[in-house]
Amino acid sequence: MANFNQKKREIECKIVYYGPGRGGKTTNLEYIFKAFKSHVTEDMVSINTEGDRTIFFDFLPVGLGKIKGCNVRVYLYTVPGQVQYSSTRKLVLKGVDGIVFVADSFEVRRDYNIHSLKDLSDNLKEHGKNIFQIPLVMQYNKRDLEDLVPLLSVDQMEKDLNNQLKVPSFPASAINGEGVGKTLKECLKLTLIALQKEFKWAEK
Amino acid sequence: MSNGASLTGDLKFLNLGEVLQLLGSNGSTGVLNVLSKYAQNPGVIYLEKGNPIDATDGSLKGIDGLYALFGWTDGKFEFKEQTITKKNTIKKSRMEIILEGLRMVDDGQIEILGAVSFKSKTPDGSEKSTHVPYIRGPLVDYMYVIDEEDFKDGDEIVKEGKHGGWIWVILDGTVEIIKETKKGRLNVIRIGEGSFVGSMSSFYSKSNVRSASAFAKGDVQLGMLDSQQLFSEFSNMTSDFKNIIKSIDNRLKLVTNRTSDFYIGKINLDEIISGKPAIKQGDNEDRLFSIAKGKASIVRNYEKIFIPLVDLAERDFIGNMPFLDMGHEPYSASVFASKDFKIKKLDTVELQREFENLSTTFKNLIENVATCITATTMVACEYYKKINKENTDKK
Repeated sequence: MANFNQKKREIECKIVYYGPGRGGKTTNLEYIFKAFKSHVTEDMVSINTEGDRTIFFDFLPVGLGKIKGCNVRVYLYTVPGQVQYSSTRKLVLKGVDGIVFVADSFEVRRDYNIHSLKDLSDNLKEHGKNIFQIPLVMQYNKRDLEDLVPLLSVDQMEKDLNNQLKVPSFPASAINGEGVGKTLKECLKLTLIALQKEFKWAEK
Repeated sequence: MSNGASLTGDLKFLNLGEVLQLLGSNGSTGVLNVLSKYAQNPGVIYLEKGNPIDATDGSLKGIDGLYALFGWTDGKFEFKEQTITKKNTIKKSRMEIILEGLRMVDDGQIEILGAVSFKSKTPDGSEKSTHVPYIRGPLVDYMYVIDEEDFKDGDEIVKEGKHGGWIWVILDGTVEIIKETKKGRLNVIRIGEGSFVGSMSSFYSKSNVRSASAFAKGDVQLGMLDSQQLFSEFSNMTSDFKNIIKSIDNRLKLVTNRTSDFYIGKINLDEIISGKPAIKQGDNEDRLFSIAKGKASIVRNYEKIFIPLVDLAERDFIGNMPFLDMGHEPYSASVFASKDFKIKKLDTVELQREFENLSTTFKNLIENVATCITATTMVACEYYKKINKENTDKK
C-alpha cells in the first residue's frame, strides 16, 4: 500500500533492505545514496543500532515513469535485525511495498541468512503480508572476497534461500557498487508493477 | 478534545512516530499535544511544515523533550493547526528523530510512561524509595459537579476509618492517597485532575468507612459530585452490573490493603495458590465470570516472583472485562481457585452496552477506579519484591 501524497502529487513507495547483520544492507544504501545524490532531496539519516546501522533516505528517481500522472518517490530503509528493536522494525515494515534481501556470501554466515529470511517471513506475517506475494529481490553480497574467505557458491545460496521463493537474484559486491543498481532496479520494477496493478484494480 | 483540533486520536492506535510521519507528509504547521493519564502536564511538539522545531515534556525541552515523548505509548494526541512563532531548536530531520526515538525506546533509554511498566530507579541505583504513580483522570464532566471546594497544601480531605459518602472530582491540583501503617504513613498513589476522591461504596453500603486518607499536595480544588443523581443512576443498573461495580471497588480496596501489608513486610499466602491456575497469566481468555461459590486468588507473576494481589469471594467477578483495563487477569495476572469453586458466565456484550449508556461521570469514575487498581498493583509488586529480596538475602 503506497502512500499517495496529494499535496506534492507524488506516490510514496517504501523499499526495505532486509538481511542478517553486517551483511551489507547499509553498504548498499550508502552506495545508492552516493550514486543518486542529485536526486536525493534531504540528507541520509543514519541511526546506530546495536550490531548494525539503520539507514533512511528518500529520492525521486527520474526515468521511472509516472503512475496516473504522479511522480514516484522512493523511500529506502534498512531495518535493524536484532529482536529488541521491535518498535523500529514495526515502523519500518509498516506499509512496505518492496523488499531487497541482502544475504551474506561468507560460508560461516550460512545459518544467519536462513534465520534472517525466516524472520522476515514472520515479521511480514505480523503486518498481514505474505513473503510469497510481496515484491522481493535477493542479493548475494560480498562476491568480491572470493579469494580471501571461503564463500558459499551462488548455487548453494539459491538452494538455501531461493528454492521456494524463486525471486530474481543477483550476485553483488556492494562495497564496489557491483550489482547494487541492478538489484534496486529489479526491486523497483517489481514494486511498480505491483503498484500499477493495485491502482488499476482500485479504479474499477 | 473538541476545541478546534484538526486531528486527534489514541496513541495505542497510532504511535508518536506514526503521527509525526502523517503530519510530516502532510506538511502541517501547528502544535501537537500529547496527553497521558500518567503525566501531570501534556507533552507539546511544535511543527513547522511537517518538521518538529521544538518540544517540551515536563522539564525537558527541545530534542530531549521530544525523544522522551516517544515513551508515551498510552495516551491521546491532538493536533491544532496554527502559526508557530517559536525558534527552531531541533535541527534534526523528521525521519531521523522518529528512527532515533524508537531506537531509544527499544534500547531502554527512554522510560515508558504508564502504570504497568514504570520502573522505580533512584538516581543512585538504590531501590529505597518506591516511585509513587500519578493518575490523571479524563476531562472533567461538569454536569454532576454541584459545588466547588478549595484545600490548602497538607489539608486532610478524607480520613481513613471515618464515615463519609461524598465523592469529589479533582478540578485542579494533586491529592495524595495515604494509608496509615505500623511503619508510618504510606503514600500509595497520587491522583490529579479528573481523578476521583471517595469510593462508589456509598451507593450500596450504608456504613461507608473511608479505606484510605486523602491529603492535598499543594493547593487543590475539588468539585463535589451530585451523589443523589449518581445514586439514582446506580439503582437503575442491572444486578450483574451493580455487582461488577461493587467488585471493582472492592478490588481497589483489597489491593490497597495488600500494598500496606507488603509495606510493613506482612505476607499472607492463601493455601489455594498451588497447582494449576484457573486462568493463566497471558491466556487469551475473553470470557467474564461471576463467582458463584468458593474463593479465588489473583496472582501476578512479576519477574518470576508470584505475588498474591487480591483474594476474591462469591459475587466477585473474574476474567476479561472488555471495557475496562485493571492490569490484572487474564493478561497480567493468573487466577487460582479453591476446590469448591463454581462460576457463572456473564454476558459481556450486554454489560458493555450498559457501560456505554452510562453518564460520562459514571463512566469516568469506573475507569478511574480501574486505572488506580493498575497503578496500586504495581506499587504492591514493588514492595513485595523488596520483601522477597530481603528474605533471600537473609538466607
